[in-house]
Amino acid sequence: MTKKPKSSRRLPLDIDPSLLPCKAGSGEAILPSEQPGYYPGYSNLSQQAFWDKATRDLINDRVNNVPRIRHFSAESALFWRVVFEHVLPQSDRIPERRIPLVERLDERLHNKRGVGYRYEKMPPDREAYRLAEIAINEESQSRFNAHFIDLPHLQQDIVLQAIHDGKPSAAKAIWKQMSIGRFWLLLMQDAIEAYYAHPWAWDEIGFGGPAYPRAYTRLERGEPEPWEVEEQRYDWDAPRYSVSDSTESTHHLHTESRQNEFLPDESQ
Amino acid sequence: MLGPLQHIDFPMRRYRDTEEIDYLIVGCGSGGGVLLQRLARAGFKVVALEAGPFWDTERDWVSDESGSHKLYWEDLRITGGTDPLAFGANNSGKGVGGGSVHWAAFTPRFHPSDFEVYTRDGLGADWPFSYETLRPYYEQLELEMPVAGPAYFPWGHPHGYPYGPHPMGGVGNALIKGCTALGIPVSIGGPVAILSGSRADRPHCIYRGFCIQGCKVGAKASTLVTHVPDAIANGGEVREYSMAHRIELGRDGRVTGVHYFDRDGASWFQRAKAVIVAGYAIETPRLLLNSACPGHENGLANSSDTVGRYLMAQAGNVVLGRFDQPVRMYKAPPAHALTEEFYETDPRNDFARGFAIQTVGPLPIAFGKQMVSAKRAWGWGLRREMMDYNHWASFGLLGEILPWADNRVTLSEERDQFGIRAPHISFNLHDNDHRLIKAAKNKTMEVMQAAGATEVIQEARYAHLVGAARMGKDPRTSVVDKFGRTHDIANLFVCDGSILPTQGSANPGLTIQALAARTADYLIAQGDTVFNSNRRDMNEPPMSRELAPSDTWGHGVPRVK
Repeated sequence: MTKKPKSSRRLPLDIDPSLLPCKAGSGEAILPSEQPGYYPGYSNLSQQAFWDKATRDLINDRVNNVPRIRHFSAESALFWRVVFEHVLPQSDRIPERRIPLVERLDERLHNKRGVGYRYEKMPPDREAYRLAEIAINEESQSRFNAHFIDLPHLQQDIVLQAIHDGKPSAAKAIWKQMSIGRFWLLLMQDAIEAYYAHPWAWDEIGFGGPAYPRAYTRLERGEPEPWEVEEQRYDWDAPRYSVSDSTESTHHLHTESRQNEFLPDESQ
Repeated sequence: MLGPLQHIDFPMRRYRDTEEIDYLIVGCGSGGGVLLQRLARAGFKVVALEAGPFWDTERDWVSDESGSHKLYWEDLRITGGTDPLAFGANNSGKGVGGGSVHWAAFTPRFHPSDFEVYTRDGLGADWPFSYETLRPYYEQLELEMPVAGPAYFPWGHPHGYPYGPHPMGGVGNALIKGCTALGIPVSIGGPVAILSGSRADRPHCIYRGFCIQGCKVGAKASTLVTHVPDAIANGGEVREYSMAHRIELGRDGRVTGVHYFDRDGASWFQRAKAVIVAGYAIETPRLLLNSACPGHENGLANSSDTVGRYLMAQAGNVVLGRFDQPVRMYKAPPAHALTEEFYETDPRNDFARGFAIQTVGPLPIAFGKQMVSAKRAWGWGLRREMMDYNHWASFGLLGEILPWADNRVTLSEERDQFGIRAPHISFNLHDNDHRLIKAAKNKTMEVMQAAGATEVIQEARYAHLVGAARMGKDPRTSVVDKFGRTHDIANLFVCDGSILPTQGSANPGLTIQALAARTADYLIAQGDTVFNSNRRDMNEPPMSRELAPSDTWGHGVPRVK
């Protein structure tokens, strides 16, 4: 089944169509919408009367109150904002329905909230982000002779791809004191923690969300609850100016450090 | 308030620091919670220091992944070695109930072979007692939690569960289908310590899927709801926000109490006739090491240089399969079906010991991180994979990693928010571990394929923590004796996952609680002897079933056959 997500009618003037996902094969841009994904009309927030108060208060606070930047300088906040536009792009969402990411990272760093451990190959998180900003800029200089922020979108994607692949061409000193694989994981975790904690993201992927005290009742065969909706798939291609829409299975790597630190798999 | 129906509506006794209590327990989790309950019922003056809060579950807990960080131990730990472990949400709880608040509540027993790994395989270690010693405590704790599961569980020492199995979610169905296609027996609907029907003041499961974010319903067993209320009703005290940092040793070579910080950072000292450390596999060795003093320069109870060593985690690789039809794996408890068909040493393998395959049910944030590791997904690729969240099912393998001396907790030079030296953990897989994990990963992927998945991927990770203060017969190679009493100090005990000599391929929570109930029986049988003598009685104590929490033993409760 192919169904187009609900779209705003006109392309905003500041959006380059080459940065938008396209209808599969045709190259025709899919206009930014309130809710991309295969579950049109599904809304977690519409169900909040059935949630417990503590959960309702927390989720509404997340949606309505975006923390202001307190840890990053204005320059660094902009830098990471642009990085997040690549590692977790949202150009398919209308601006008012984009999910704040850098603000959540900033809040975590401001409060020095860790996750309960630090790899010995990693500095503390604040330092990791400071060093990575330098390293990504050096990578940009080395490949394209400009600061990351000044590069065209596609070249920014290419710079980040090199970090993702663990194959930097610059900033060797920084990547020697900080594991590039562990940094990439940290960055992706911060992006995912912010995006997929948001009820708009739950709507996008069809996640049922909070279900206490109401309960889930249809456990089998992936059937929706009465308030959930059936999936309506459509095929889409990633924007022309992006390189991030490819994946690679790492199932042959049987240990965590080989998967995430790019350690050689001696056992193969 | 503990869930919608449970209340603690009686005042809690509060001991003064200057009063010498009988037992001071450090940590109110799986082990500490059960100990506190038993010792309070037996009439001892007992206090549990808990670093985290005493939860009001209705107010403090949420149905939300990102909002549940406070359940996890997120203080500074440095992790290293060739195969560094993740902590925090992965395996470390904080607050009353400890790890049993965020466990998935899978409660398989260990197999009889787990107690004699060294004898059978020439690797690892033997326990100082056999399965038969622990069996009555398994049966007892399965009632106290209680555990839902099939009427016949075929592996290890075959047994049945007194409470009915849970209905299957999409992931459980996939495991049944995959196993059946390959001729592998499978356990359906448990064993899991989640109520399939209401019992006493605890409601039945509502299948909301947020088990590891804390069960607001009260259906999932945690010591917070199963044992702590009964402990308080019987005069036990839980002192929240109390971070122990040093055990005090008297001139007579016996411990005299514990120094701890309150939430404002003020230091206090609680006197006690005996101390039981129950801080789990990182904090227990950390406290013993941080309690070094003249005569015990390498840490308390560490004459064997074994404190902190033989730390274990289980291989917890997650295998994910994509199905054409939606699965919606967020429904139902993550833990609801498993197979232990590959648990035992098989001479046809190139490794000793084995693994289990269990259902897991990652919610979106956890699933997203899995896509990063398992598919190197980022950017648009990540958005695309996530849009397919409802099409994936996931199995977790649980593979036995053997105890090795170099897998170890030591003290880092860095300090936590209290100024206490933080733990450094070094973890390294050895040859047997590598071979076992590879075989387990491949078999689990085969089961997922047989279930009908069109794409099968894998995220490597670890699950659970045990060891690092192991028990044994020989004081030169172990920290505590078979009752959890340290070999070096007669009134200092350890009672949590850190005393396990090996770990099998079973989730450790039930075993930790069973061991705690047994240690409690021992302490009760010893009476005052522990307090005023260094005599070490090694006789097995009688079992005191009547000390179980109200409504979990006797009239109206299924009998153990």
